[in-house]
Amino acid sequence: MAAPVNNSSSCWKVPEVYKHHEQQKVCISRPKYREGRKDKAVKVYTINLESRYLMVQGVPAIGVMTELVQLCALYGTVEEYRPLDEYPAEEFTEVYLIKFQKLTSARAAKRNMDEKSFYGGVLHVCYVPEYETVEDTRLKLQDRRSYVMRAARNRAKEKKEKAAMNEGSTSSETTSTSDTVVTRHEPVSENLTTGETSSDSLHPVFPPLPLPPHEYYSFRCDNAHEAGPKEDKMGTLHNAVTNLKQPQVESLRTNPSPFNRSRGTRCKLNSNQDPEFRFLPRTKHLERRKRKMEEAAEQSAHVSGGNEPLIGPKLPEPPKLDMEDDSLNTTVSLIRNTMKQVESVPDLKPGEKKIKPRRRI
Amino acid sequence: MKRNESTEFSSERFEYLQTLVTEFQDTDSEEAKQQVLANLANFSYDPKNTEYLLQLQVPDLFLDMLTEENEDFVEFGMGGLCNLSMDPECRDVILQGDGIAAVTNCLSNRREETVLSAITTLMNLTTAATRSRTTEPGVLQCMLRFSLAESPRLRNLASVFLQDCCSQEQVRRAERQMQGPQAAVGIPLPRD
Repeated sequence: MAAPVNNSSSCWKVPEVYKHHEQQKVCISRPKYREGRKDKAVKVYTINLESRYLMVQGVPAIGVMTELVQLCALYGTVEEYRPLDEYPAEEFTEVYLIKFQKLTSARAAKRNMDEKSFYGGVLHVCYVPEYETVEDTRLKLQDRRSYVMRAARNRAKEKKEKAAMNEGSTSSETTSTSDTVVTRHEPVSENLTTGETSSDSLHPVFPPLPLPPHEYYSFRCDNAHEAGPKEDKMGTLHNAVTNLKQPQVESLRTNPSPFNRSRGTRCKLNSNQDPEFRFLPRTKHLERRKRKMEEAAEQSAHVSGGNEPLIGPKLPEPPKLDMEDDSLNTTVSLIRNTMKQVESVPDLKPGEKKIKPRRRI
Repeated sequence: MKRNESTEFSSERFEYLQTLVTEFQDTDSEEAKQQVLANLANFSYDPKNTEYLLQLQVPDLFLDMLTEENEDFVEFGMGGLCNLSMDPECRDVILQGDGIAAVTNCLSNRREETVLSAITTLMNLTTAATRSRTTEPGVLQCMLRFSLAESPRLRNLASVFLQDCCSQEQVRRAERQMQGPQAAVGIPLPRD
């Protein structure tokens, strides 16, 4: 995983204290509408300032290097780390240099660890791009460029699709439903629409879509794959509102594969008219079971003469509900029997509920 | 309906950015201008905002900042351009606003962040059509000097510029032009 670096190669020489290492004063004079959730300094972040290399100051000098690296590793793979003994540090604190495999990990680590308490000290985390090699810098710029280009291409495609949609239909409900699906999530829309158009011959752009619960479900299971925080109200993908620095690149980058899967699933849902022969989501099973239980309950009410109040425990009954599966039926009857046994035992007094001790992390 | 939510959200975002731009134009407070400029420059980092910033003519706003006396304004404006110029549409708008000349001027700024942003912006503005201007001899000589600078960040960026945006012949020519009694003779450029 990570390797402690002890030798001094050219990029690990004696550190200089640069201006961008300094923690600037927080701005307190912002008008309310521009205030973020957290007070921040007035600072502009560009790709030049960001880096895979982070410097962590304020680490208490109590031998917690391993814990620090473990904390950093929560945000992504740490390639290298070392203490910066030569760097000026406050008394009883240490300074560490951490090199992440990805810039996005460094970004997340900085966002989450800066100004946070750590073993009694307060960490100050900053980027240290001066530790990059020429190749590091080049790759960083290239990655950033391809990300921006991709976003620009997606935007252009969306515009074309919207224009085509506006031309293609006027008041069709189907179109508006598909519009719902398409515009809900920007990176998805491109894949979805290409998937949908390939499976349909009726509609010029979008095929007739199934019931909304299916769509939302497929979105839900795909969105679960996304990493990182969602955008906040001000369009930033992290805590700051007014000083936007760090859009969450990782979540957008990891989108293609889950959303390709979603395209596949959606194609199936659209093209296959008979749901019985396909995989049904669990919600469908549960709904069906519930309906049958309700029907069964109605029937039993009719059989027992309905309105008379039942006194005492019920007699054991044969299973009324057919789960359409032998193992499930067995399970249900076992559970029902167990429940009857439990019901026949008096309840525990309410005050005896055991309180679990709270675990301190 | 999700569509309404996301449309509302987009229009909220646009309106917020519009409010920022309006405040920047209307306010007399230098402090407020600086804060808003920094906000806009940071919003420029996220491609989601590019379309709205273009509609609000923010690239031109940043270009105007490059000729301001306030060094913070220049730094933040240059940072905003650095963030925006990677997008092709923004790049074209900046080029139309005579961006190359304004950005090249910033190469001689005394603030390192401003110079770094200028180098990156010039890289972004370099296309087949503009290469002759962004890599003209004066700029190359400047980059050669930067590539020998003490600051690692400056060295790295200048090296990437020379390696990726210029041909070897251009660089050699610029080196020869620089050679004189006071020039750094015989020091090779960093190579792969």
